[in-house]
Amino acid sequence: MAFLIDCPNCGVRNPYEFKFEGACKHAPDPGADMKAWCDHLFFHDNLPGFQDEWWFHTMGCREWIKVRRNIATHEIRSIEE
Amino acid sequence: MAKTQKPLQFKQPEKSYDVVIIGGGLHGLAAAYYLARYHGIRRVAVLERRYLGFGGSGRNTEMVRSNKRAHETLPFYKESLEMWDGLSAELDWNLMVQKKGLIALAHSDMELAAMRMLSDSQRRAGIKIEMLGPKELKKMVPSLDTSDKPALPIFGAQFHPEGGTVHHDAAVWGYAKGCARYGVDICVGVEVTGINVEASKVTGVETTAGRIAAAKVHVAVGGYSSEIGRMIGMNFPVTTIAMQVMTTDIMQPFLDYYVASPRLHFYTQQTLKGDLILGGPLDHFQSWNSYTTWEESVDRAMKIVEYFPDLAHVRIVRTWSGLCDCTGDSAPVMGGCGIDGLSLDIAWGYYGFKSVPASGKYSAEYIATDRMPEKIRHFGLDRFYDRRLVREIIL
Repeated sequence: MAFLIDCPNCGVRNPYEFKFEGACKHAPDPGADMKAWCDHLFFHDNLPGFQDEWWFHTMGCREWIKVRRNIATHEIRSIEE
Repeated sequence: MAKTQKPLQFKQPEKSYDVVIIGGGLHGLAAAYYLARYHGIRRVAVLERRYLGFGGSGRNTEMVRSNKRAHETLPFYKESLEMWDGLSAELDWNLMVQKKGLIALAHSDMELAAMRMLSDSQRRAGIKIEMLGPKELKKMVPSLDTSDKPALPIFGAQFHPEGGTVHHDAAVWGYAKGCARYGVDICVGVEVTGINVEASKVTGVETTAGRIAAAKVHVAVGGYSSEIGRMIGMNFPVTTIAMQVMTTDIMQPFLDYYVASPRLHFYTQQTLKGDLILGGPLDHFQSWNSYTTWEESVDRAMKIVEYFPDLAHVRIVRTWSGLCDCTGDSAPVMGGCGIDGLSLDIAWGYYGFKSVPASGKYSAEYIATDRMPEKIRHFGLDRFYDRRLVREIIL
């Protein structure tokens, strides 16, 4: 396991128990133009450093958690339910 | 004592070049080589921040193949596969090209049907593909368990005779030697820290070895492409994910083909040295870190032992991982990005190694002529806005 995730419901767990759902993003306004939606759908920051991301605890509490993780070092700074 | 001449020497970059290529991996070196060799542009610098072939070039599973599905990409991969054949002679360096043939296993009738459909698309593009039954398969790979013992028994397979392997480090040194022969400057240990753009035109790059002026800058940085995106204030349509690879103990030759299972997502080959290379899926989370994990090793070991039961005693001796910058549609991004003189050759994800010769050739053509070559016209960045995503379904 590359790192551990301290699930608020289940305790310290292996990341392979979770489903990774990518970085948290804000969707454009419903009335936004096509370019804004394409940017939102296909283009990502994807930079080494901290980002907020969604993880789903498939093999545990089956809850979504928001993890602030450094994708270059796998250091985790905060976990919210 | 005979005097030996160094085959190539690394240089410090000069103050200006016609073309600066960021990334001293296979894609960058290939683009530089074809620029110098076929387009007569010799004032070219290849900048590499670590060492030649540090990234994906040395971390792949050495597989070359063209068994894809989308009609947009098939001619490109076919040409790339053919180009490997003549490269050893052209570069005067043995790349150990071994077209041993690739077997893709099917574990159900549905999968066989899907493979037949896939084979038809590939045959239409002129790629040789055959379907195999379990009996023929057993003859070709006697160590493979074709009985009904495995959890998912083998129903048949697709055979891609032109697929095979190329030694990746040999390819890096072959292209580097080729570049040096045509006067390309290879600068190792030089990191690009910024890209200078004036009035949406590239004027050069900032590096740890000072400013370098260039009218054309080519980005071939493999998994690290988003860092370049940040320098020019753009996002790229990529997510960086690590892929882990393993090798086993060295054994007597027993496996003549590349064996893969698209369903279970494992693939293996026996190298000339005798060890097995175990490849598998990308990891399931975003990462810029080349870690390896126990879980993935177990997963691969279990899959391989399921179909090659004789390997139960073999140890995994080495693991490593490489970074893949993956797009949503499993196709690369090549060509321009809205800034004059800045060209991209990124987002190869899982397919970077096999496409090296053709991507180098067409990147060079794009840089030299400023026109998008016919074979890569579907790979432009604008496809994400025009909703022309490549409909690729195969990894």
